[in-house]
This record gives sequence, C-alpha cells and structure tokens, in this order.
Amino acid sequence: MRKNFRLLWVLGLFFVGLTLQAQDRAVSGKVTDASGSALPGANIQVKGTNKGTTANSDGMFTINVASGAKIVVSSIGFTSKEVTISGGTSNVTVSLSEDSRNLEEIVVTGLATSVKRTNLANAVTSLSAKQLTGTTRPQTLDGAMNGKLIGANISANSGAPGGGFSVRLRGISSINLSSEPLYIVDGVYVNNSQFQTGAGTGSFNGATGQTSGTQDQATNRIADINPADIENVEVLKGPSAAAIYGTRANAGVIIITTKKGKAGKTSISFGQDVGYAEALRLIGMQKTPWDADKISKGIWLVSNDEMLDLFKANGSGSKTVDYEKEVYGNKGLLRTSRLSLSGGTDKIKFYAAANTTKEDGIQKNTGFNRASVRLNLDYKLNDFVDFSIGSNYLNTFTSRSFSGNDNNGVSLGYNLAYLPNWLEQRPDAQGVYPQNPLTGQNILEVVDKAQNLERTNRFIQSFAANFNFIKTEKHSLKLSVQGGLDYLLTESDAYMPDNIQFQTRRANPGAARLTKNRNINTNLQAFLVDQLSVNKFNFNTSVGTVRLETNQEISYIQGDGLPSNQRNPSLATVRTPFVNFAKWQDVGLVAQEEINWDDKVIATAGIRFDKSSLNGDNQKYYAFPKASLAVNVANFDFWKVPAVSQLKLRAAYGETGNPANFGALFTSTASVIIAGQSGLISPTSNGNAGIEPERATEIEAGVDLGLFNNRISIEASVYNKKVLNYIDAFSLSPGTGVSQIAAFPVGDLQNRGFELGITAVPVQKENITWNTTFNIWNNITKITRLIVPEYQVGASGFGAFGTNRIRLGESPNSWYGTPLLPDGSRTRYEASQPKVQFSWNNNITFFKNFELSFLLHVSQGNYNASLNQELTDEGGTSPDWGTASATDRNIPVGVARQLGQPGITTRQFIVDASYIKLREVALYYNIPKTILPKGLEGIRVGFSGNNVFMSTPYFGYDPEASNFGNRPVGGGVDLLSFPSSRRLFFHLNVNF
Amino acid sequence: MKKTYKSILIASCTALMLSSCGFFEVENSVDPNAVSLDAVSNNPTDKQINQLAIGLQSTVRSGLVDFYRNTGTVGREIVYSASTDNRYFNELLGTESTNFNGANDPNGIFNTYYSAFSQTRRRAEVVIKSAETATVLSEAQKSGIRGFAKTLQGLVTLNMLNMQGKNGIRETFSDLSSPGDQLKPGKFGTYESGLVVVKKMLDDGAAELDKAGTAFAFPLTGGYTGFTTPATMKRFNRGIAARVAMYQKDFPGMIATLNQSFLDLNGSLTTGPNFTFSTTAGDAVNGFFQAPDDAGAPYVAFNQHITSAEAGDTRVFGPTAKVRQRTTPRQSGPAITSTHEVRMYTTNTVPVSILRNEELILMWAEAQIQAGTLATGIAALDRIRTAHGLRTLAQAKPTILTNKDALIDEVLNQRRYSLFFEGHRWFDAKRYAKISILPLQTGTFKVFENFNRPDAEVQWDARNPN
Repeated sequence: MRKNFRLLWVLGLFFVGLTLQAQDRAVSGKVTDASGSALPGANIQVKGTNKGTTANSDGMFTINVASGAKIVVSSIGFTSKEVTISGGTSNVTVSLSEDSRNLEEIVVTGLATSVKRTNLANAVTSLSAKQLTGTTRPQTLDGAMNGKLIGANISANSGAPGGGFSVRLRGISSINLSSEPLYIVDGVYVNNSQFQTGAGTGSFNGATGQTSGTQDQATNRIADINPADIENVEVLKGPSAAAIYGTRANAGVIIITTKKGKAGKTSISFGQDVGYAEALRLIGMQKTPWDADKISKGIWLVSNDEMLDLFKANGSGSKTVDYEKEVYGNKGLLRTSRLSLSGGTDKIKFYAAANTTKEDGIQKNTGFNRASVRLNLDYKLNDFVDFSIGSNYLNTFTSRSFSGNDNNGVSLGYNLAYLPNWLEQRPDAQGVYPQNPLTGQNILEVVDKAQNLERTNRFIQSFAANFNFIKTEKHSLKLSVQGGLDYLLTESDAYMPDNIQFQTRRANPGAARLTKNRNINTNLQAFLVDQLSVNKFNFNTSVGTVRLETNQEISYIQGDGLPSNQRNPSLATVRTPFVNFAKWQDVGLVAQEEINWDDKVIATAGIRFDKSSLNGDNQKYYAFPKASLAVNVANFDFWKVPAVSQLKLRAAYGETGNPANFGALFTSTASVIIAGQSGLISPTSNGNAGIEPERATEIEAGVDLGLFNNRISIEASVYNKKVLNYIDAFSLSPGTGVSQIAAFPVGDLQNRGFELGITAVPVQKENITWNTTFNIWNNITKITRLIVPEYQVGASGFGAFGTNRIRLGESPNSWYGTPLLPDGSRTRYEASQPKVQFSWNNNITFFKNFELSFLLHVSQGNYNASLNQELTDEGGTSPDWGTASATDRNIPVGVARQLGQPGITTRQFIVDASYIKLREVALYYNIPKTILPKGLEGIRVGFSGNNVFMSTPYFGYDPEASNFGNRPVGGGVDLLSFPSSRRLFFHLNVNF
Repeated sequence: MKKTYKSILIASCTALMLSSCGFFEVENSVDPNAVSLDAVSNNPTDKQINQLAIGLQSTVRSGLVDFYRNTGTVGREIVYSASTDNRYFNELLGTESTNFNGANDPNGIFNTYYSAFSQTRRRAEVVIKSAETATVLSEAQKSGIRGFAKTLQGLVTLNMLNMQGKNGIRETFSDLSSPGDQLKPGKFGTYESGLVVVKKMLDDGAAELDKAGTAFAFPLTGGYTGFTTPATMKRFNRGIAARVAMYQKDFPGMIATLNQSFLDLNGSLTTGPNFTFSTTAGDAVNGFFQAPDDAGAPYVAFNQHITSAEAGDTRVFGPTAKVRQRTTPRQSGPAITSTHEVRMYTTNTVPVSILRNEELILMWAEAQIQAGTLATGIAALDRIRTAHGLRTLAQAKPTILTNKDALIDEVLNQRRYSLFFEGHRWFDAKRYAKISILPLQTGTFKVFENFNRPDAEVQWDARNPN
C-alpha cells in the first residue's frame, strides 16, 4: 500500500515539474539585524514555493524570482519578514528585528520532518545556545536547563561535582522504570544512565548492606555532553508531541542540535572562563556551642560520662575547629577554555570545536573535568544528494568523595552532624589522624585518603544523508537516512585505604571497587518525505522505519583486604567479581501526514508501530497514534484586530510507550556459594514473560497569542497525561517466599497541569531593550487505578522518617508515616512534587554594548523527607540545639525533637523544601568593533554567577537533594547531601 | 534526471544495506546473566540436584542476623548500637510502639527474618518438587531430599512463627504445581495451629528420612559433619521437633523426641550442626563478628546480663566469656549504657551453631522437671553448670532442689547464659508469662508481645479478602 502511495506522488511530480517558470530573474540582497550587522545563514525563500537559498557569511544572497513575487527572509532568533520584489528591484536589503520568542524558528517535531513554531500544535519549549549557556556556565546540560523549561521539574540530586540531575517533564511517567526523558543529539539516541559505583555499599559508606544499591550518589551521563557545542535544545514534553518516537518517549524527548558550520569566511572564536565555586550555604554545625551542662542533657553515641571525659580531655571547648568549613570551605577554581572554527563554502561547511573544563569542588580533592573535541561537516554533493556527519569525543572525570546516607561514618555531611567542634580530628605532626570515638571514622582522613572517582571516555558519531529525488517549487520528494552511534566507557574507582579508621575495624581492611560500564547505542532510520503544494494546501507526507539497539556490559571487581598502599583489587584477600550483560533492540514503522492550509489550519496525523525485544511478545507491534490541529485565527482574512498579530488555537493528542527494563521477562535462579561449593536457589523476584510496555496518552490544548507586533506573546497550555498499565513490581504476600513479580502492569496514573509563559519586550528604546519571560507551571499527579494492594515505593525513604506509598486516588509523591491511624494505615503528609513553579528570565541590553541578564526560579510547595534536623540534633550540632523546648524548659529542643521522644512522629521529618533561587545573573560588555584592531571581529567580556542566591525555609544545605538518585518517586530524601555551590565567573570571548 | 537515477541507486544500495543487517529483526531474549528456573526444576540432572541442595544449605542461613538481633534486643540481651540508626535501640525496644499498635513498624527494617524464612521455606519446597521430577534419583534418594528439606523448613518456620506469636503464620504458602501459585497464599492461623503445622513438617521429614536408605544423593557441607546420613540427620530433625514440643508444652513429647535426637548427657556440649561461613565471593560471612571496642555499630550487652550472672560463670567472665568489657562504656540512646560487648565470634568465618547438645541437655532438664522427675532434671542442669565454672545446684542453691518453680527458673537462667544471643531469651520469658523479668520496660520502652505482621501481608489480605 505504502509503495502505491509513493508511486502516485512520483507520477504527480512530473506534471507539476513541467510548469517551470521561465521569467525568473536574479535578485541579490543583504540580510542584517537591526543594528546593520550581517546575518549569515539567514534563509531566503520565495513565498509559496520550496525555492530558497541562504545568506553567506557577509549576509549576502542571490535568488531567482519572478517579478511581483514575495520573498520570506528568516533567521533563527529574528522575526521573519516578507518583501515584495517589484518589477525594477534587483537589490534589496532586509533588516530583521530580534524575536525573543523565536516564532520563526523551525522546530523538529517528527523523525524526519519539522514545522515552523507558529504552526505548532504543541507547546514545544526551545532553548537557544544563548538561553542555555549565554548567561553563565552551569556545569552540565541538565543544570543549564534548570528553571528555563516550563513544565519541567528539574532537581539536582546533590551538589557534588559532575552532575546528577533528575528531569521530569510534565510529572512522572512511571513509578519504578526510568522517568527521565530521551535525549537525542543530532539524531543519535544518547545514553543517560546513572551507573552505580559501589560508593554506597558496605565496604565504603555502608548506606546499604547489599553489594549494590541506589545510594551511590551517582552522576548521570548527560553530564558528558558539552553544553558549549549546543546550538539549540527542543523539548517534546509529553506523548502528544513525542508520539512519533514511540516506545522510548513516555517521559518526553529532548532533541539537541549542535552547532553547524556556515558558509563564508572562517570565523574563529576563543572563549575563556575563570571563576571559583564556594558553598552556597553551610549549616554552621561546628558553631554550635558546647558545655558540660549540654553534655549532661544530651543523648550521645557514648555515655554522658564518657562524653564529658572526652570533652575535658579535648580542652573543655577551649579550642574549637569549624570542621564544616574545613571540609566544605574550599574555594574551587573553575576554568574553561573553548576554541571553535566555523566556515566553508556552498558545498562544504564545517564546525570544529575543542573545549576543556577543569573545575575544583568546594571540598578538597573533588572536582569535575571535561574535554571535548567536535567536528561537524555538511557536504552537498549536488542538488540531489547532501550529507552531514558529526563526530564528538568526550572525556569526563569526576571526583565526588562520599556523601548521603551512611553506616560507617564515611559520608561527610553525616559525620559532620555528629562531630563536636572541640574534638581534635586534625592529623598530628607525624600525620596520624586521631580516632573518632563517636562515629568510628575521622572525617579529615576521608577527605584526604578516601576516593570516589569516575572517568568516562565517550564517542558520539552522527550521520545523515538526504537523497532529493524530486525538487521543484511545488513538489519535493526525498529519502532521508540518519543514524548514529554512542559508545561510552565509564570507569569508576571507589577506594578506601586499609589504614583508614573504620577499615582497621573490619575483618579485611582496605577496599577497592573498579567498575566498568560499557554502553553502545546505535540507531538507524530511513524516511521518505514528500512535500506537495496544491493551491494553498501543503501536504507533507513521511513514511519510514527506525531501528534502535542498546548493548551494555557492566562489570566490576571489588577487593576487600588490600595490601598497604595498594588499590589493585586483584591483590585483595576477598575478591568479588560481577558481570552483567544487557542488550535490546527496537524496530519502529512510522507514517505521518501533515496538511497545512495557508498557515491558517495545520492538521497532523501519524502513527508509529513498535516492536521490541524487551516485550513479552517480541514480534508484536504496538501502535502509537497521534493527531493534532493548530488554527492560526489571526491569519484568516476576517481577522481585523491589528493589536493581535498572532492568535493560535491548538490541540494535540498522542500516545507513547515504555518497555519494561531488561531482565523483566526472566525467572532465573540465583547463584550462591557455601563451603566453596556453588549452588542454585529459586528467585525471590519472579519475571513476567508476558510483559507489555507502559503506555502514556496525552491530550494537550492551548492558546498562543502575539500582541503588538509580538512584543508580548503568551503561550498557555493545559494537558492531561495518563500512564496506563504502568509497570511496577507486584508485591506478593511475603509469606509465599516470593517477594514480587518484578514487572507487572499494576495500575494507571495521571498527570494534569497547566503551563503559562509570557514573553514581552516592555522597553524597546534606542539605548535600552528589556526582554523578559515569565513562566508559571504546575503538575498534579494521581494514582487513578491500582489492581494491587497499597504499597511502599522501593528506595523512597526510611520508615518513620517518611516514605512514598502508592495509594489509589493519592499522589505517588506523597509522603507517609507515623502515627498509624486506628485502621492501621499510615498518615499521609505533603508531596515531594512542587505545587507550582515560577521562573522569571530577563535580558536587558543598554547603551548597545552592555547586557544584563538574570534568572529567578521559584519552586513552591515541594516537601522533602529530611533527616538533616534529626542527625544534627543527635550529634548536638544543630544551631539551635540548646534552646529550651516548648513543652519542658529543662529539655533542650535538640533532644525534644528527636525520633523516639514523646509526641515525635513523621510530621517532624516531612519539611517544606520550597525555594527561591537566583540561578543565573550576568553582566557583559561587547567592546565596540570600531575600537578593535583590524582582524578582530569582536570581544566580549563579562561577569556571571550561577546559583548565586537561595532563599528557603529548609534546614540543610540545599532543598534540591535526592539520596536515592534519579527516581520518578523517591526523590527528595535528604541526609545532609553534598552542599551545592555558588559559582562566579569572569568571561572573555574573542572572535577573529 | 541522470542525477536522480544516481541518487535512486544510492538510496537503493542503502536500503539493501538495511535489510542485509537484519534491520527488522529483534532477538528472542534469553537471560544472559542467570540460569533459568525452568532448566533446573524440570527433570534436573544429578549435578543440578547437587546445586539445588547446596543452594538450600546456603540460603537457610539468611535471616539469621535479623532474627538473632531482633530477639536479642526485645529479650533485653543485647543492643545493636548503630551510631547511624537509632531504630535498633529505640523502635526495637518499644519506643515507637504507641505509633505502631504495640510493636515494630510493620513496614520498617525489622521484617527481614520474615521474608528470609519464608523464602527458605519455599526454596526447600522447590528442591523437593524438582527432585520429584528427576529421573536420575531413586525413590529412597527422593525421600532423602524430602527429609532434609522438610527438616530445614521446620527449623525456619518455627522461628518465623515464634516471632509472629499470636498473629500466626500462613500455614500453607503455595502450591508449586500450579502456575501463578504465588497469587494464592494460605490463610493465617493461630500460634497453636502454627505449631501443629511445624510439628507435621518435622514429623513428615523424619518419616522420609526413615525411608531414605543409608546415604543422601547430594553432598552436605562441613557444617553438617556428623549429620550426613539420613539416620544422623533424623537426630537433628528430632532435636528441632523437641523445640516444637517445648513450645507446645508437651513435655512427654519433648522427652520422646529428645530420646531420638543427638542428646548426649555426657557428650560435648558443642556437638551439633552449624552454619558455616567464608569470605569467598557469593558466600556469606558471620554477620555477628565485630572488632573489639568498635565505635560504629557494635553489638553490646545489657548490663543486667553481667550483673545478674553468678560469680565465676565462664560464659560471662574470663577468657571464654561470650561478652567482653569495653575500654569505654557504650551509650545507646539515653537509657542504655553498656559496659560489655558481645564477643562470641572471633573472626567473620567462625561458624554459628544451629542446634547443639547443650540446648538438648537444657531441654531435657526442663522436660524432666516439668514431668516431676526433678533429680534427672537437676543432674542435667548440673552438667551445664559445672561445664561453665559453676558449682552444682546442691552446693550453690540447695534450697531450690525440691522446688519445681524455682528449678524452672534455674533452667531459664541457664538457658539465658548458655543460649545468649541465639534467639531464646525473649521466647522463654513469653512461654512462661514472665515478660516482667526483662529489664527496661518503663517510660516509652515496652517489650513486644510479638512482632507486627509485615505491612505487605496486611495489604495483601486487605486487597484479597477471600
């Protein structure tokens, strides 16, 4: 059927192609911005046709047009303009004004198709390079998006160097599978895994007694991507926009396009950032005063008498050390150098860039480094064939030390909470670290000797080729082939020397775990794209197929009982090897039709069929349909309201899927050992051989308004996103001896929310232009169907300190705890998901060459399950510890609020984690070209700050915290996680 | 147009490349990381039978740390003084009991014993069912596997039942012969009916061992030395059965089963099967091992354990004592100061006794005293006392020699010291309704009557009311 369809188009083209126009003539021109500077790369298109060209490096172009025809000139970031070429014109200059809303931008919405922003039926958020990294330099891409994406809930898991961010678009799309969006860089499906390092296991900080867990405070791999290479980020937030991506798109899709070369003179750009990082906020744990009376009233890890003896032996508080400052008081040097070259001819264009980043942390011996080399080439063989390739090599390194939950005294925040300021922990003249009799581990010894390192080598290769079979004004048909490869090897290295205090107490002192995570993603797609203009209708048809493969191997060897000064685990007394393989393949078939009636009504329908080796029936195709409609009311002739330049009503529906994790199909034995003999035991978690993918459906509707020549534009959307048959472990009666069916369609959940974005240019004068964007959004999640008993979400907290539970009719993000109600059920508290978020982004240009920007971000009504108060109260280090309790003046508040004291329930630990953050602020100055020496195209200098200011009622380092890493549910558990940092920079950018 | 043909040609080549690399194929997944359960449960080979039996010997150890730690703490023997988690000495000692209907958090961290023992019970059943399909096994050999597996089932099920007390346990747990059996768990019974179930498990096991010939078809690891034949394994089985009779207060039955056990009034007290450990990857280590004076999370003793001991008791004082004085006392919450810590295992590979002659002798003493044959009971008690540096009862406590109640108290006292931190003290206090003898019950502290039924069980029954 598909073949016949194609044949029809091919036949049609010949008739259309015959009507080639003979009376065309050449018109040349120049495209500039408002200040008269050339706009290289601007698009010039003859209206109503496919005929077009692009401006060269000097903004010059030549195009053949008929007399009286209109040309449309557009450039990303500028409002496009229509110019009528009257009879005598042979030379035109077109000046475009900046467009803060990017209405003219082309948005990639399909796998091989794109659509103009004004014709979109979804609220697709785009971030330009300028929005992403133009103000300041967040360490990672996800950090750079934080506060800028309407509809997203982005949260750092901790402040440790090297990232670790959870990104949720329009609420959660799963409970137990990943709810992180799919990242696609230049068409390559890139890996964003959170690889575990073992840092949270027994031989290290002991957060879990198992040999692996989710408490390693791991990074996620999108941190590798170099933000400076990014030209543009587009965010398909829900299934209605992302349906064409099928079974990988339940959590949305983030499409990243890197910078491309532009024809013309080679431009060279060099940038240097220098700055420092310091702790955004310290608690002041070692500022809390101590005396004998306090010791007699507290509850310590040793008896009160013993504590008093220790106090006296350490000088009775006569000398104190602010250990928090010793540990987290470092001013980390931040350095980034960038060099890029861009240029080419009409035939071949290139963009080459090299980047090195070296950032020290706020804790000694921690930091993040990234080196990146990129080459993007576009080659136009002839009018019929063009292709492009992009190659990117990345090398990242992080040193994150130990933080978060702990059972060995190793995690620094945890240790600090129990460390009185009078206890001597600094090494003596011989370099011997005093023992810590309280937590069992000297904190400075951890800082100096323990290591938690991770190094990634990564290669991302993309390629694309277009074969233009037909290319006429009214009709085009092309075959688009695109594919890529993402190879990464992440090696982590967790190390505890044998002579560190807590290790000397272990049966086999000294531990090292070397982990290798190898992941290869490959993807290949081929699409036939047909564009046909008939009268005022434009038909855009695409059919194609997609194949994705992932091949992963994770292995480690851990050694316990290391020889002195050795960290090779193969030398250890006890050696634990581990190897895990995972691989899967998906195949998709796609068809999509878009009909555009004169930019007035744009209707799209499409369907994708996916099969996957991850599904129980690996030959079954699952269908994911979509349909959308956008009506540009202001483009109709009857529209006579000049103040309203754009009025678009839009609605979209779509479905996506998410297959179960690899391994969910299998019911396999576990291998065990006793007395050197190997045995097999039946599993406690059974597989589900018939598992089907989760399915998300979303309906989105909205209004886009452009007022006063788009000086004010408003984008408002509402959505209802449902996840049907979401997959989670089906908890069985533990008395059966099987704890769960690993993957089961246990219920449905729903996300409803609104998004309102207002962009305006309140001031536009010769010497000052103020662009401002105000966003407000919320999302409410609810469990709407549940076929299993109410259950606690795994790794979502600690018993009476609050955990997440799945209860019908409630939000899965709600916290639950004590007291138990008379019927035995748990008291429900607030939820970790914000009730509402706002962000306010501003850019003020004044006296032509100065630019001031800032971004404020507010998260309101999000609650954490925090142990911060409990830990510091138990350790006597909470700043208000000695204040008399409200109920009994003889009991200090630091004792009265501890778990186990009368009246203390989970209420004490579920705390407001709302915040206001000044995420970005910058002031730049462009040195006028007139005073620059010849050969220099531009110099830009400036100061900026990232996470400069925070206001929050939260007790702790930062309300953005997640002990269990990226989890759809279970984030927001905080045990004094690694403090976040304020980052201040000086920038210099030179263009040659 | 030539160029068009050229590009069609290139495109066709691309399409050919796609189809030749199996573009539209996806794999039929098989687990690359583990042996499938089906492969070993349908007519297993003799090697697979061995692996299943070894697996059972390994897995029966799981839940032990949780079980001893929970019972030891509730029975006021020991405290797990975790510096980073006070639930071990708050919640477990009852401070949250008003929030949790009288006991522990049903969804908290103290349910490990429940799932571990349930898993062992099921795994033993899987071994039995797999063996039944094995063509390489004779009927006697199948009986041997059934007898061994049921003995271990009885061991863990009794422990699980004692923890749950009046809540009872699921008395049938699954029917492995039907698919989806895990969706149909059995009903909860009472404590008494649970004991009947455990008794039957052990009696059935003993009957199978009687039919099992002279040797097992599978290897028994070092911990079972002395119990490696069906006949000797049965003596272990009968020892566990004696425990059941003890909890049933069936003293004649206790005497009868002890007579079939490896009880030896004059033999070594330490004779009996052990859980063994090693540091080999995949094996388990002895989780009770700790370095002296550990500050992180030591097991420390209740001071009353030391202060109540008779002078000269080598289980408390001297080089072979099970506790050792710390250089500095350990504080666990406001109420508990411990001068001593547990010192029962000197390395992390020292075995842990499952059941030993010492306990059999103490059970014998109790059963005889309850049966009125006081002198036999006293002789058994003296065997224990003198082995641990104490004088005979006639010398040390002449006034109680004819007082049955006082002698029972003496049995409980000797059990307290002989079976310290091995999961007995709390149950002993419960079965004689003597909870009041346990210390630390004032204020927010409370001795649990039993552990709460795990939340997952409560939720399951709420959702599946039939």
